[in-house]
Amino acid sequence: MKRKLMAAIGVATLAVGATACGTDDSGNGGNGGSGSGGNTDSITVWLMDGSAPDAWIEELNTAFEEEHGVSVNVEIQEWNGIQEKITTALSEDGTVDVLEIGNTQTVGFAATGGLADLGEFEGEAWNATMLDSATVDDTLYALPWYGANRVVIYDKGIWEEAGAEVPTTRDEWIEALELIEENTDAEPIYLPGQSYYVMGGFIADEGGAFAVQEGDEWTGALNTPEAEAGMEFYAQLQEFSNSPTDNDEASPQQSTEVVPQGDVASWIGLGWEAGGAIATIEEQGEEADFGYFPVPGKTADQPGHVFLGGSNLAVSERAGDQELAKEWLRMATSQEWAQKFVDENNGGVVPNRTDVTASPEEDTFAAAMVQSAEVGYLPPLTTGWANVEVVPNPIKDLMTKVLNGEDYAAAAEEADAEITTRINRD
Amino acid sequence: MTPPARAVEPAAPAAATGRRLPTGWLPYLLIAPAVLSLGLVLGWALLRNVLISFQEFGRRQLITRTTEWAGFDNYVEVLNNPRFWDTLVRTFVFMAVNVVLIMVLGTLIGLLLNRLGKKMRLTLSIALVMAWAMPIIPSTVLFSWIFHTQYGLMNWFMGTLGFTGFEQHNWFGTGTSTLAIATLLIVWMSIPFVALNLYAGLTTIGGEIYEAARMDGASAWRIFRSIVLPIMKPFFLITTFLEIIWVFKAFAQVYALNGGGPSRASETLPVMAYIEGMGQQQFGAAAAISVLTLLILLGAMSYYFHLILKQEKEQQS
Repeated sequence: MKRKLMAAIGVATLAVGATACGTDDSGNGGNGGSGSGGNTDSITVWLMDGSAPDAWIEELNTAFEEEHGVSVNVEIQEWNGIQEKITTALSEDGTVDVLEIGNTQTVGFAATGGLADLGEFEGEAWNATMLDSATVDDTLYALPWYGANRVVIYDKGIWEEAGAEVPTTRDEWIEALELIEENTDAEPIYLPGQSYYVMGGFIADEGGAFAVQEGDEWTGALNTPEAEAGMEFYAQLQEFSNSPTDNDEASPQQSTEVVPQGDVASWIGLGWEAGGAIATIEEQGEEADFGYFPVPGKTADQPGHVFLGGSNLAVSERAGDQELAKEWLRMATSQEWAQKFVDENNGGVVPNRTDVTASPEEDTFAAAMVQSAEVGYLPPLTTGWANVEVVPNPIKDLMTKVLNGEDYAAAAEEADAEITTRINRD
Repeated sequence: MTPPARAVEPAAPAAATGRRLPTGWLPYLLIAPAVLSLGLVLGWALLRNVLISFQEFGRRQLITRTTEWAGFDNYVEVLNNPRFWDTLVRTFVFMAVNVVLIMVLGTLIGLLLNRLGKKMRLTLSIALVMAWAMPIIPSTVLFSWIFHTQYGLMNWFMGTLGFTGFEQHNWFGTGTSTLAIATLLIVWMSIPFVALNLYAGLTTIGGEIYEAARMDGASAWRIFRSIVLPIMKPFFLITTFLEIIWVFKAFAQVYALNGGGPSRASETLPVMAYIEGMGQQQFGAAAAISVLTLLILLGAMSYYFHLILKQEKEQQS
């Protein structure tokens, strides 16, 4: 009797164990959960953390409510883990009506059939490059919203103390960092080990890319002299940083958790990150004294390549009310509101339309950003690219390995194999 | 000469002790709620999992709500993936090291509990219960803080002890090092269960047996081997097998420490299933991995059932 009981306990525990590894079908949404957007009293809009200035979004929604008598729920999402969240949201009815999707991920989601056809918006004065990231097979699945790229943000006080000058070439950049290292106690540059979009810029400077297309197939292109040279320069910069080699810019959040601690002479970040850092520093009762310059290129006549980040706005195929969602989208991306959006950001974004102008003031983040916006690069615009960016990201793994002293070619070959497998998967 | 004593005729069978066991439908009715809830909670999830393992099931299928049967494709893919075999070996080594450490240290502490005085026993018991009562995620977070590269207690401690090279030492830099920390964590969390249960079992062994053994000149090791081990054999059996199952399926400890990293070098099978499924959104492949995990565990456990059935038979004969 006693042993039968033991056997029973064994079986039960075994089953619990097995199912614990087996319940990965969560999010297999049925028809349940008609969210707040399921009726026509309101629509739900998902925006990413740091994207829209509060004032702009409030004003826009008030105007929309007046016109359509429908309230707008804006839900702010974190970038971390967003792909899984969007997948779940798109598979359920009425969870979200309008959603912001990063420009590197839009094509992937469009190919799943989860985004509504936005063909009716074709022919407006969209920024052509941005439009590419929202189109699959000549069909428009999202509308460009804004573009952004990284610049170097530096602490004017520390640079002055070190006697360092704002660089225009990579060599001058390294010299400046050396001066800071010698003459001050500050960390010359904060650069986490896995900031792969920054590294991608250095690869683009050499004429390389993360992956290349051959016919219909894509293959990873990290085991190339161009990529190796790009990574080498990244490693040279990273030497100046106290950051570990196995984290990215969001862990810890460089803008709010690292820079405000002080003694960081420079870092590479986006406009919203600069804003976040300034806000945090001011909360601490101190004053931020930031200057900005474009990531230097190999020569003075061209700044370094930077990733053309940005976001598109899309409508869920399963939106509670697609028509209303499209109306909101029409309004938000119209010339009038797009211009307000750019103004509200002090010109710190690349406009989504050619009829919107950004005129940044001198010596601001925006001014530095606009200078390098011409030398931008985009990761491969293919449906499988989103698979490469999910955890564990092979490019990040490669960076950590190389920074820890492993052989580049071997690590790159492994990363390429992983990229090739994933990028060709839909 | 006296006639040989004849065996005493057995008395009439002892009157049935207590009530008779219920027969008919009543026992089934009584276990029905348990069986039903198990079936609903576990059986359904298990069935869904097996079904998904035979499907091409990714982001697109999830969003368009289509079902694409793929036969054994997922299994073929997983079994041809060298990462699966690496992970399988890693999982078994990890499990073996953990279970051995847990059983040995747990047994030693259990024996210690039995020998300690009242106050010390209470203190040790409280320490054990607290380690046991600690939820998994907080203790994992605590351990990852202790071993943090920049602010970790461990690097400071090693430095203070005079070891050099531990400033900014990254304890999560390799898969082995990460799993070693996971081992430390799991062993620490699992010892109380073994120790406290062993102590509870030991209290049922009368002191006179030890006394008799000592009179015969048995050493401590001999006492353990010839007295404690045979008496506590069922305990050791079930505890070892429970620990095997628990360590094999340990997910949160490994995943929360370093996400299976760096470069997936600390993945065990459950973590791999999670990363393939939730991370890569390859739910079909992930389901196949978890079904294979289940089969492997069943295979390993069949020995345990065999052992129990054998003992059952021996007892009856």
